[in-house]
Amino acid sequence: MAENKPYEKPLPDFRPETKPYWDAAKKHELVLPRSKATGEFFFYPRAISPGNDMSEDIEWVKASGKAKVWTYSIHHMGPTKAYKDDPPYIVALVETSEGVKMMTNIVDCDVKDVHVGMDVEVVFDDVTPEVTLPKFRPTK
Amino acid sequence: MADGSPTIKEAREVLKKNKIVIAGVGETEQGKIPNKSSFHFLSQASKLAIEDAGIKKSDVDGLVTAFSLVEHTFMHCTTFADYFGLRPRFFSSVAVGGATAVWMAAEAAMAIASGQAEVVLCVRGDNTLSGISSSGMVALIREMCHAEFEFPYGLTTPGGYALAAQRYLHDFGATREHLAAVAVTMRKHAANKENAMNKEPLTIEEVVNSRIIAEPLTKYDCSIISDGGAAFIVTTEAKAKELGIKNPLAYLWGMGQGYSHQYLTSLKDLDQIYNAVNTSGQKAFQTAGLGPKDVDVAFLYDCFTITVLLELEGLGFVPKGEGGAFALEGRMEIGKDLPVNTHGGLLSQAHLGAMHHVVEAVLQLRNQAGPRQVKDAEVALVHGNGGIVSAHSTILLGKEALS
Repeated sequence: MAENKPYEKPLPDFRPETKPYWDAAKKHELVLPRSKATGEFFFYPRAISPGNDMSEDIEWVKASGKAKVWTYSIHHMGPTKAYKDDPPYIVALVETSEGVKMMTNIVDCDVKDVHVGMDVEVVFDDVTPEVTLPKFRPTK
Repeated sequence: MADGSPTIKEAREVLKKNKIVIAGVGETEQGKIPNKSSFHFLSQASKLAIEDAGIKKSDVDGLVTAFSLVEHTFMHCTTFADYFGLRPRFFSSVAVGGATAVWMAAEAAMAIASGQAEVVLCVRGDNTLSGISSSGMVALIREMCHAEFEFPYGLTTPGGYALAAQRYLHDFGATREHLAAVAVTMRKHAANKENAMNKEPLTIEEVVNSRIIAEPLTKYDCSIISDGGAAFIVTTEAKAKELGIKNPLAYLWGMGQGYSHQYLTSLKDLDQIYNAVNTSGQKAFQTAGLGPKDVDVAFLYDCFTITVLLELEGLGFVPKGEGGAFALEGRMEIGKDLPVNTHGGLLSQAHLGAMHHVVEAVLQLRNQAGPRQVKDAEVALVHGNGGIVSAHSTILLGKEALS
């Protein structure tokens, strides 16, 4: 989804501990952090497990890429001027098959078709040469 | 949290012993008021509350402020103390979003109960409408969501609430009319509030058919942005007598907080929100020895219509999923089952967190709410929510001392 004009929408504000996630996304892979101590996935990525284990022993596991729409909102206004031509676009909170929630966009989907419980799968949007945003589309 | 648990008993004893009261309130004009700074509004509101209490500025020995969305300060409370010319012996800035105003009252109470101050000025003011820059607005939207894992997807602040609303509609089969009814009731109440920004009548159809911001929320499901200030003074019954304060006093009967999440990504289900609202409310209710049925007038944080339904239900006023019908049947109106936000709330009066909710609760208990007066109002509840229905705070106020 390369665009000719420069990408002016907000880019992720990186923390050092999330590098494996973004590096994988750039290679078009979705990885999720899991505490080795408890075997629990968590999201968003953190340097330390948010569970009671407080473990920094985090492993990055390749995700199935499958999810269901938990809720969504068709945005008719974006947060910055760079979104001027985008609305209506779909912001959704999806629940992955691993059981974590991710904020995302549902793409390749008519706004009339999106619904709670919709099966979606990950796709990768190379928004800049450095940054790839995992997004989701209806499962084919 | 069982009734009579040690912490609840302790809280009750502290409030009974100290007889914490709100003894003065003040509200500036509200609306689009250019050429007045955030600190100007803070000062005007403080002066009004001090004058309302009939005390001297020098009687104030504690200060609780919040934050400004326009003038960012590292130490907000002391920056204002300097501007206003106060030398408080207790000072604190509370910053828990929409849960702030309610918790300012609680923080003042805790400071008084632990001997840090006797007369605490709680004040918020901001020139949000006239003063915020477009980059400031973007920064605010960015701060309301996760800057790394949510904001890059174009999530807006109304959008965050819309996500909660959409799931609510799904879980309970509720409709956009249910949400709209909240906005309609707030508008009806604002018509009788002198400084309300929006007073013209509003219908369900107008709300539903107005410009969509983030489905399922339209323009009228979203609160307004305004300039203005408001303040209240927290002290004890004994100190109020000593200072010769003539206002009827509003007694603090209970307080509590509840936390769900900061980012929606961390939300498991709607029950997580209900539980946070309930934890906050129950702590206040149990401390006061009251339940939802005892509340005569409620002030629920209404930054978006959906929050009022989640709070009505989470606090136990109505069963889960039934808030919409309650609103649609007009049962939140003055004279009905549970008058909610008799001043018009954030949806129609003005937006200064829950400051005006606290002020109006006090006016109701003083029997000074004029055409908005709820007959025989003896118990008022105020609930604030910060973030995207994330952080909650509740206070209960009574007309007489807790016995």
